[in-house]
Amino acid sequence: MTVSHTLVIWCLTIGALIIAGWRAWYRFRPLLHAQPLNRTDQPWVRLKGVFGDVGLHRRLLKFSYSGVLHLMIFISFLVLFTAIIQAFGSGLFPGFSLEPIGGETWIALLQEIFAGVMFLGVGMAVWQRYVKKPERFKGSKKSDATIIYVLIIAIVVTMLFEFGSQIAFKGGQYNQFRPISSFIASILVNFGVIDSIAQTTAVFFYWAHVLAILAFLIYIPGSKHRHMFTVMPNIFFRPLTPKGALPAPPVDLVEEGKSKTVEKFEDFTWKDLFDTLSCTECGRCQHVCPAHASGSPLSPKTLIMDLRDGLLTDEGLMDAAYSLPIAGGTIKEETLWSCTTCRACMEVCPVHIEHVPKIVQLRRSLVERGEIEPMLQTTLTSFQSHGNSFGKPAKQRARWTKGLSFKIKDARKQAVDILWFVGDFASFDPRVQKLTLALGELLHKAGVDFGILFDGEHNSGNDVRRTGDEGLFEMLAHHNINELDSCEFNRILTSDPHTLNALGSEYRSLGANYKVVHYSQFLWELVNEGKLKIKNTSSNTVTYHDPCYLGRYNGGFDSPRNLITSLGYQLHDMGRCRENSFCCGAGGGRIWMDDSGMEERPSENRIKEALALGDVDQFIVACPKDVVMYNAAVQTLGMEEKIIVRDLTELVTAAIDDSP
Amino acid sequence: MKVVVILRLNPVLTDELELTEDESDIDREWIGLEINQFDDQSLEQAILLKESSDAHVTAIAIKDEGVERLLKTALAKGVDQALQISLEEIEDRSSRALAPMYAAAIRELQPDVVIVGVLSTDDLFGELAPYIAADLGWSQASAISDFRIEADKIIVRQEYSGGRAALLEMATPAVVGLQTATQPPRYVAGSKLRDLLKVEIPNLSIDVAPNLEKVGSTELALPDLSEGATMFEGDTDAIAEQIHSLLQEKGFAS
Repeated sequence: MTVSHTLVIWCLTIGALIIAGWRAWYRFRPLLHAQPLNRTDQPWVRLKGVFGDVGLHRRLLKFSYSGVLHLMIFISFLVLFTAIIQAFGSGLFPGFSLEPIGGETWIALLQEIFAGVMFLGVGMAVWQRYVKKPERFKGSKKSDATIIYVLIIAIVVTMLFEFGSQIAFKGGQYNQFRPISSFIASILVNFGVIDSIAQTTAVFFYWAHVLAILAFLIYIPGSKHRHMFTVMPNIFFRPLTPKGALPAPPVDLVEEGKSKTVEKFEDFTWKDLFDTLSCTECGRCQHVCPAHASGSPLSPKTLIMDLRDGLLTDEGLMDAAYSLPIAGGTIKEETLWSCTTCRACMEVCPVHIEHVPKIVQLRRSLVERGEIEPMLQTTLTSFQSHGNSFGKPAKQRARWTKGLSFKIKDARKQAVDILWFVGDFASFDPRVQKLTLALGELLHKAGVDFGILFDGEHNSGNDVRRTGDEGLFEMLAHHNINELDSCEFNRILTSDPHTLNALGSEYRSLGANYKVVHYSQFLWELVNEGKLKIKNTSSNTVTYHDPCYLGRYNGGFDSPRNLITSLGYQLHDMGRCRENSFCCGAGGGRIWMDDSGMEERPSENRIKEALALGDVDQFIVACPKDVVMYNAAVQTLGMEEKIIVRDLTELVTAAIDDSP
Repeated sequence: MKVVVILRLNPVLTDELELTEDESDIDREWIGLEINQFDDQSLEQAILLKESSDAHVTAIAIKDEGVERLLKTALAKGVDQALQISLEEIEDRSSRALAPMYAAAIRELQPDVVIVGVLSTDDLFGELAPYIAADLGWSQASAISDFRIEADKIIVRQEYSGGRAALLEMATPAVVGLQTATQPPRYVAGSKLRDLLKVEIPNLSIDVAPNLEKVGSTELALPDLSEGATMFEGDTDAIAEQIHSLLQEKGFAS
């Protein structure tokens, strides 16, 4: 290595770093003007998450083929980084070498092995992207992936040829620590690459290696592969607040104490923008999204990509279709209204991107402008005037209690152990009222001291908040909190998982802390404690659907399953169960919107999944909205003879029946 | 230009209705109330005029249960002023009885245009707009579906049967019975309503007696149940079952 070589490599390296830094700066500088957000609490928990999802590839391995190939490339990259250190160290600082710590022995061997692993990993990636072509890649930028494959292969090949040429220069003897390079050397020697030619060849490949690495470095900031650098901070700064608590709208700095809506990119938090720059376009979110599966215009992946491209266009770095305000401009209204807020995308995303809060922020902007889905407008107006989605006077909320065999307590007038927050569908929908009555009778039989709020109850506002009407949510929530605070009780029981989420997770930000329990858990307690005696058991094989807001949001996976199996049933779970459950399509206010444009409703997709199990004739649910959604789906599919939808309450009622 | 828009609450007709004891009105104790759909259109049109022609809009309604909320919604939508006309007692809600009250309030406010929904469930023949105009001696047109302000005149589009329509130029002051606004009513975000929760809607006192002696309903009746119709009773399942067997009987279902 001559002095001029050293100078050239210094110039090239510094030049490449400046260009790469400049390219990165232009993409990341909008973060400086974005909304503030503090995400530095509990640093150890944050680091643990980074270790689990980067180091152990926990989320990536849920898709085994892709997870394994990524792990192969990832580890190979770490190992081959030693070769990069060697190449640049020796170039920048003549005399630098890893040899004293094993650069020509065990490190060399590792480099050779993982060069092979890297080829295999990239080969699997190429096979997947160009031959298997999973649907989740639809909409991702193929050319970006291709360029990266070529650069990786170029870096590894030039490295091996450099080592091979060096071995050829030394006579071509087999080096036990460099088997692949030795093999290349033997070919080179055969072609007459020896002595000074081999020496020149080695220099050539050294420069090719260095240039490939620098090209990679310069390319990265403008590519989805910048996730190499962003993924660790993106996971570190993930939300640690309850999954069911949505972030508040951005604060208006001009009018003190007021909030505003997201209209421009800088109205998002810096983390929201960082999310878009961390997206790897892997499409796992698209694969699990019920809206995408139904043929709706939403894909969580393209939503994030469009936000990113909009941001970059806003910065003058791209020329994507884009206009402001973001909601209705860069992202179409129909796309935003398609989301069921089921959280499957966020649960599966390997880099912990937060899709749902962004969608809700943008919905808030539409609501504030008064541009909302027509059917939703009717429902929200009904919430404003009646406090429920059914357009019924509040006084009619407790009408269903007329069918009870006993007089139910008014929790506003007397203290109770359990305050039952019934919910809209359970109170008003005739299909669900029967189950509400049955649950009331079960509680009565078990000797539970319970009462309800009668017309004091309003909708909890969980899905109102998710439609983007923050003000209406607050009005509903404050009403309920006022009512609840005037009552004496120990725990709140809810029929609806959405209510469970609102009372348990959302009301906290309004200063209300309640112990809330879903009826699946409460019934399991009653059965487990012997307060409800099981008299008849059934040995039928059934399947169970995890409601999003009970399972994925609030971790209620086991109680319903324990309850089902304790009644004797054989439980055959569907492939998409527990945190991977597939949404019925009702959440996020979707139940109040038009679904006639869908190719296949998520609920129908789900019933088909249950039928495909082959041995199941009962579809067990634990959510009033599921009762409505799945009964409709079974009817639409004409499968009434093959499968019936039953609620947990029905199962327990049948099991404790005294009559023969 | 000053615009007054009249807002009324109607019973929710999809609910079960019950009559008062003397069978002269529906029992309002248990029913839900909602804005008259045509008044919602009027409100939207008034806001559109404010946006396009800088009109000053006042919303008025007769003080009653739920009216305060109704007027707050109007404020949230963007009207400049909302007033409730306070009456000592509402004996008769017919348009004939209430028209003089509205007219008195309008005299007080001195607008150029009054917009009122063309009809409502308790104003089935669209009589309120002409009654008010007659009382005030102003020009009047109903079944209007478009509305523009040009200098001190207004241009309205009046609908006729068979898809025909005419553009009318009206001198002000005028009373307009509006059928549809130029665009569908927009949604009012809860945040705007929330900000108005503590606002008090001022009263507008008028000193006019209702027009009671001329027309009044003497009797109301629910649909006759005795003949010509089969009424199914029971819960939803039982009713569905009965409908199904009836359809089977008549050969419409298997």
